[in-house]
Parts: sequence; structure tokens; C-alpha cells
Amino acid sequence: MERQRSLTQSMSWLHTWAGLLLGWALFAIFLTGTLAVFDKEIDWWMQPELSDRGLGQAQAAEVAQRWLEREKPQASGWNIGLPTERAPQLSVSSGEQRRGERTQLDPATGEALPVRETVGGNFFFHFHYTLHLPRMIGIWVVGFAAMAMLVAIISGVIIHKKIFKDFFTFRPAKGQRSWLDGHNASAVLLLPFHLMITYSGLAIFSAIYMPAAVDALYDGDRQAMFRESRPGAEQAQQAGGGARRAGAEQGQPRGRGEGARPQAPAAELLPLAGFIERGEAHYGEGMVAGLSVSNPGRADARVTVRPLLGSRIELTKGEGMVFDGVSGRLLDAPEPSRPSLLTQRVIAGLHFAQFGGYPMRWLYFLCGLVSCVMIASGLVLYTVKKRRQVKADSSEGRAFLRLVESLNVAAVAGLSLACAALLWGNRLLPAELAGREFWELRLFFGVWLLSLAHARLRAPLQAWREQLFVAAALGVALPLLDLLLAPGAADRARLGLDVTALLLGATLAWVAWQLPRIATSRARRTPAVQIAGAER
Amino acid sequence: MKAIHSRWPVIVRVLAAILGGYAFTYATTATLARLLPFARYDAAAVATLLSFVVYLVFVLWAFSARTLGQVLAGVALSVPLAAIAFWPQLLGGMR
Repeated sequence: MERQRSLTQSMSWLHTWAGLLLGWALFAIFLTGTLAVFDKEIDWWMQPELSDRGLGQAQAAEVAQRWLEREKPQASGWNIGLPTERAPQLSVSSGEQRRGERTQLDPATGEALPVRETVGGNFFFHFHYTLHLPRMIGIWVVGFAAMAMLVAIISGVIIHKKIFKDFFTFRPAKGQRSWLDGHNASAVLLLPFHLMITYSGLAIFSAIYMPAAVDALYDGDRQAMFRESRPGAEQAQQAGGGARRAGAEQGQPRGRGEGARPQAPAAELLPLAGFIERGEAHYGEGMVAGLSVSNPGRADARVTVRPLLGSRIELTKGEGMVFDGVSGRLLDAPEPSRPSLLTQRVIAGLHFAQFGGYPMRWLYFLCGLVSCVMIASGLVLYTVKKRRQVKADSSEGRAFLRLVESLNVAAVAGLSLACAALLWGNRLLPAELAGREFWELRLFFGVWLLSLAHARLRAPLQAWREQLFVAAALGVALPLLDLLLAPGAADRARLGLDVTALLLGATLAWVAWQLPRIATSRARRTPAVQIAGAER
Repeated sequence: MKAIHSRWPVIVRVLAAILGGYAFTYATTATLARLLPFARYDAAAVATLLSFVVYLVFVLWAFSARTLGQVLAGVALSVPLAAIAFWPQLLGGMR
């Protein structure tokens, strides 16, 4: 590539390699991210023991408080997940870690509910930004892929001179042209979405990816920058006895120092239900997601009312109103963010898609699927183009093409298959199995590995079709499985997931059905189908 | 032999774009944060959010630049930029 080349040529080279080498990771990131739009609903589906009792939050808080006071009186902190529209269950946890054991409570009896252990919809959410690697490594790998995505998007726009004209051009069943048109249409149609979702994803972890400004202005002290983010934070820090910080970390008690301090004298905690109303007065009705209590039963008890994400576009993760748990005095309420912080949080909020309710969620889901189609068609396009050139090429070239072809199958069809298999495993693995969530993980990654082995062994077209058909069958039959194995659990949310799986499965089956036609019709010379009369 | 020989410029260019581009972005972001006429927090936040555009443009430029020398010169610009961004730290270190 060192010969003199035009801008289009060099951008085309860059587009191909950035898109191909990171495309496999990007497809996984986009597919799991698309599924994570409905993480709470998938969670609900994966625990069919839970049912919506239509319980009010105040009653739920009472039940939770009674249970926690009986079972965990000595805990350093409590967390209560209140029933909400998307997650109508009541869950509690105690201790330092928010991510510790969660207990589901039956609001009617006030007893713990035996529910199956499952990775839940959270798996897709975490996979989306860590690829199931160790957290920090994963975040960096995903960030690198996201940068490659940005590079691929912009270089794609540069090489694409007739960007608007091509949007109206689709020539189906024309081999390479069809793949190119499909790739172009899905890319151009949602160009703003692709750009927005990629950039906002980077912005969420911008402090990790690019610590330059913090290094220069704060000597790398991120906490110092965080403290400055809210005007007047210093005074409240002293007055509220660190309450602001407690609120900022979702009521998670500070591990260090806390243990060394002598415990405050015992004091009765106010009924927690009363704090919900006060939270709703600030956040709006139905906008409270949970309560956190630090030092319950002590004079220095603090109650944090955590809002539902999505009361606004701004991502308010980690924010809350902090009350004195004994006197009920309001210690700290979030102030409006300063403009620069608001900018960052709105960008992050655009990525998290917690605003706008279900219509917005479906819009993000569908746009995410189009992104997946764009990435997958781009990956296939590479092999379709290469296959024609490679005949004269070296054996090295053929081996590389073979590798790309099998990785394409495993990354696209194999991952879809693994996701469907995870849902099947959730219903088929015995509910009482010890370490059940690890078996779910083993099943997911096992199926994915098998799909790679299968893709290496079979000819590309067969590998594509067989894996897509199996994934399609799993999707189409999911409602049946659900109704057979968890007949009592059927409600709107779970049936919604079943029907969505059915439709996605049917789509995959259609794609698998059409593949031979698309793949072999290259030689045929059918006139281009011109939609909207666009002429090339 | 010839194939291997002609591969090196590509490898150097890729490394210069990815690693050199990161260094350049780091230095530019820090300089921007230092020079923006905002409150300290705002300057840092704005510069950080813009850093991905800087990186993106650098990478695209690195692959379209006429010669490899130009790209390497671009990477070398990180040094004076970093000096502007970190001058208080540099002066402090000399004392």
C-alpha cells in the first residue's frame, strides 16, 4: 500500500481491514448490546418462578424491611430492589457488595422465594462491554473495536461517493452486488445511529480510555475531578458526613475506614416505605427503583433513594437522594449537572436507552439489529469479493480466506445460535442444579466453540445454512419450550420474548433458505432492480 | 523476499496510526484541556469527549498521508504538545 494511491484507495484498504479484523468482535458487541436493550425482560423470562403480584412499592418496602430486620440485623448495609414496570419483583441483598447474593422475596408471604440461579439478561449486558474477558481488559478490547468501528464508518462514507443514490439501489439475487447493496443500504439507512451508538459507547468509558486531561489538570486523581463535578460539593461533604459520596456510589458503604470506626449506638430505623413517596416527589411517580440503607439500626443510618434510570435522557447512574435514616432529614439531593457533565451524561444516556419507555426500547432494538446486519453483510462481502480473486492467489491466500469464512460463520451464525442455546439451557437445566449459572455459561461458550469447529469442517455455504437453520429452529420453537416447561409463568413480558424469538427465528430461517440463491446467482445476468428509479 | 520487504512500510504505518495516534491524541487532549478557557473541570471534560474525534482524524490521515515520513512527523508532534500540557508538572519535576 506504499505506492502512491488515491484517497479512495487508501480509505478502501482501511475500511476493509478495520472492518474485517474487528468485525467479528463488533458483531458480538452489537448483537449482545441489542439484546441487552431488553436485559430486564430477559432477566424476568429467565426466572419463571417470579410472578407479578401487582404489589405497590410502599408495601414491598415494608415486606423487605421486615425480612431484612429479621434475617440481616447486623449487616453493614441493605439494598432493596423495588418492583418497577420492567422488573416487577422484589429483591433484597445485604452487606458491602451490591453485586452480592440477591434474595427474591415473595411479597405475599414475606418469605424468600426459591428461584433458579441464572446468568440472566445481565449476561448480555456485561458481555456487550467486556466480551466476558476480565473487566478492564474487556473494556479496552471493546474500546479498540469501537474505535475501529468509527474508522470503518467514516472511511466507508469517504469511499462511498454516491451515498444517497445507493440507498435506493437494491439488486437482489445478484451475488456480490446484492451483498454490497445490502451492506450499503443498512449502513446508509442508519448512519446517524451507527455513529451515535459507537461514539456514545466510547464516551461512557472516556475517562478510562483517555485519561490525558485528568493527568494534566488533576495529576491523574480522578476522585479529585469527581469531587469538583458538582459545585458546593466540598461543604456538603463535611456537613453530610460523607453522605454525598455514599449516594454517589449507590449507597454502597465505603469499605475502607468504615470498619475501623466504632459503631454508632443503636437507634430505630424509620419505616422505609415513607422514603419512597419523598423520592417520588423529586423524581416523579413510578421513578424510584430501589432503596439502600447503610448502618441499619444505628444512629448514623443513611437511606438512599435510588431513581430508575430513564426519568430523563441524562444517565443518572449512581445518583440518589440521601436521608438520615433515624430523623428522616434530607441530607443530600442531586443538583442539576453542570453543562459539561450534563453533556457527557446525556451522551451516555443516549447509549443506555433508558428514556422514552418501550417505544424507544424497540426503536433501539431494531436499529441495533440493522447494525448487526450491516456488520455481518460487510464480513460476508469480504469473502465474496476475495473468492473470485483467490483462484490465482497463493495457497496462503486460500488458507486465509478459509479462516475468514469459518470465523464469519462462527461469529455471526454461531453466536446467534449460542444466544438461543442459552435461553434453551435456562429452561432445560434442572432448576436446583448446583452452580447452575456456570452451567449456563458452559453451555453458551460450548455451543459457540462447537459452531467454530463445525464451521472449520463444513464447506462455507453448508456451515452457514446448517447453523442458521439450527438457530432458527431454536428461536421458532422457544415459545413451545416455554409453554411446556414453565406453563404457569406466561405473562405479557415473557410471551413478548417468546414471540420475538419466534420472529427472529423465522427471519433466520428465511435467510438460510435464500442463501444458496444469493450465493450462486452471481453468474446469472439479471437486470438490476431499480427501486425509486435510481440509475447507477 | 520482495513480498516481505514491501510489508514493512504497512506494518510501520499501522503501528504509527494506532500507537502513535494514541500518543498524539493523548498529548492533544491534555493540551486542549490546559488551553481551553473554561473552569478546570469543564476543560477536562470537554477535551476528553473530543479526544475520540482527534484519534479518528489522526488515524484516517495516517493512512491517507503521502509518505510514511509525514506520519512519523505527525506522531513526533506529540512531544511539544505534551510539553505544553504538562509544563507545570515538568517545572515541578526540575525543582
